[in-house]
Amino acid sequence: MALTTDTKKDIYRTMFLAQAWEQALLRLMDENLAPASYHPGRGSEGTEVAATAALRPDDYLLYDHRGMAHIIAKGVSLVELFGDFLGNDLGTTGGLGAGIVHVCKPELGVLGQSGTLGGSQLIAAGAALSSKLRHTEQVTMCFFGDGAANRGTFHEAANAAGAWKLPLVFVVQNNGWAVSVPTSYSTGGTFHDRAIGYGMTGYEVDGQDPFAVYEVAEEAVERARSGGGPSLIEAHTVRLTGHYASDPDGYRSAEVRAAYAEKDPIVKARLMLLEQGLATEDELRGMEQTALDEVQTARDKALTGTKPGAERLHQRVYV
Amino acid sequence: MREITYMQAINEAMAEEMERDERVILMGEDVGAMGGIFGVTTGLFDRFGPDRVLDTPISEMFIVGGAVGAAMTGLRPIAELQFADFIWNAADETYAKMSKWRYMHGGQVTVPMVLRLPEGATGGGGAEHSGCPEASMLPHPGAHIVVPSTPADAKGLLKSAIRSDDPVAFFEHKMLYATKGPVPEGDHLVPIGKADIKRPGTDVTVVAWGRMVSLALQAADRAAADGHEVEVLDTRGLRPLDVPAILASVEKTGRLLIVQEAPKSGGGASEIAAIVAEEGLDLLEAPIRRIGAADVPIPQNAELERFAIPTVDDVQVAIKELLA
Repeated sequence: MALTTDTKKDIYRTMFLAQAWEQALLRLMDENLAPASYHPGRGSEGTEVAATAALRPDDYLLYDHRGMAHIIAKGVSLVELFGDFLGNDLGTTGGLGAGIVHVCKPELGVLGQSGTLGGSQLIAAGAALSSKLRHTEQVTMCFFGDGAANRGTFHEAANAAGAWKLPLVFVVQNNGWAVSVPTSYSTGGTFHDRAIGYGMTGYEVDGQDPFAVYEVAEEAVERARSGGGPSLIEAHTVRLTGHYASDPDGYRSAEVRAAYAEKDPIVKARLMLLEQGLATEDELRGMEQTALDEVQTARDKALTGTKPGAERLHQRVYV
Repeated sequence: MREITYMQAINEAMAEEMERDERVILMGEDVGAMGGIFGVTTGLFDRFGPDRVLDTPISEMFIVGGAVGAAMTGLRPIAELQFADFIWNAADETYAKMSKWRYMHGGQVTVPMVLRLPEGATGGGGAEHSGCPEASMLPHPGAHIVVPSTPADAKGLLKSAIRSDDPVAFFEHKMLYATKGPVPEGDHLVPIGKADIKRPGTDVTVVAWGRMVSLALQAADRAAADGHEVEVLDTRGLRPLDVPAILASVEKTGRLLIVQEAPKSGGGASEIAAIVAEEGLDLLEAPIRRIGAADVPIPQNAELERFAIPTVDDVQVAIKELLA
């Protein structure tokens, strides 16, 4: 799919929807209706939405813990997402999830998330191996941060993917911070340069420019689909908030945080659409109001869900 | 009935299931052209080709984690760790991913895979190649724990494991690979989680699994010469554990000895002893006895190894003491 005006607008709409959903979730936390263990995704919507937009509906997604924009972009309904955070039967896991959830929607290719960050890299390599052996032309995309890129799981998954030319796209969201530790302190070299060592194609892209991310992701996805092997995309992004919802974020100076605030991908994409004459102010406002209404409707519906009782505990352990 | 080895039985089970279901693949270190370092996968690469039998890099996390990803997306992998001790190299992938992903993602995906783990002391393997870590999976629910003691059970349990939609950890003892026994040809299936009375008796119950079953049977022969009838109950694994069968046997004999090859502390024997103490204390006419390896890392010196792991003599003495 080329990056058409419609695709650009759809990426913007989905980014806006994801942040509106997140604001509504944070409100549910303030209201003490949802547990306050969440890793906000503000700042990373550009990478998460635009890279996911390059996938087909039957492609596999292993998302990361930061925000829900990639999951929303893959098509999981807002009601189900709210349901997972509220821990009720409307969620994808039927009431298991709460806070740091494990949203799963196999029919949309959403396979889940590893609680131990980095674990998804190996599952993703296995899913990519599976589609290669089954000749289905499905691509697997696996998101993780600069922190999880330093786990040994990455090495084993990347090596297998490179050796066997697996249809896999790794997306490293490098926001410069692994909780409180700066990447400059924790990491030797660059993430995109690692690709060479594993026989992958490496990309470096500005994660705050979703349209640039889309073009890179589309190239990587099509290479994977056509048998050209795996890629690693390093997207430079920012974390506009603390690591988790109530993180006071004291380890980052006011100057650093102020500089990040200038790099909001949603603001940037909105400006580009207007300046390039691809959308009018009225059109964007209409789009935004629709998204806000959609979130409100989903919130209202999700709050009607039922929380499971103790009987849920023993369901679905074994087949 | 024809007799084949435990190793041939495992190989035959894999070949038959790979023939039966093209979704079954095999992946592990040296399992391809070489046929595995113990020869267990001999011939499978030639028969099924490189898309069904995959030599992996030395990457245990990928072997197990990759198999989980493949199992979630339409394949039915048999993953082999070259030694059961390598379970620690792939700990998160085994105890969490393989065992927990179905449950924690709401049961929407299944993880139909078998993890094969060659275990046990072999005379000089050393502390990191001689373990029997099956009980380490007990506090991590989600996967079945299967440990066959005979060629027939090895074939029938492995075929059931490959057909199961649940993940199965399949511990095969390296010292049993060359042992022979009668094995039915064709579709021989043994249900997972059902204990087997390998020798009926009335005086003492010896519960064992894996290689320890053969020690129990030898000790039972010796006890018979003394006029005592020992019942040998093979649990065939640790999860599901056939508690009703264990309690029924203890009800009959009133005396219980549990034998495991792993170090005595924190193993399957402790778990079984606790269950019988909770649910069957009034059935017992003597205190429960456990036998396990010494609580030391297994020395590489084969002579010292023999002192560390349980012997037939140990079992025989314990039986005598229980009857005294």
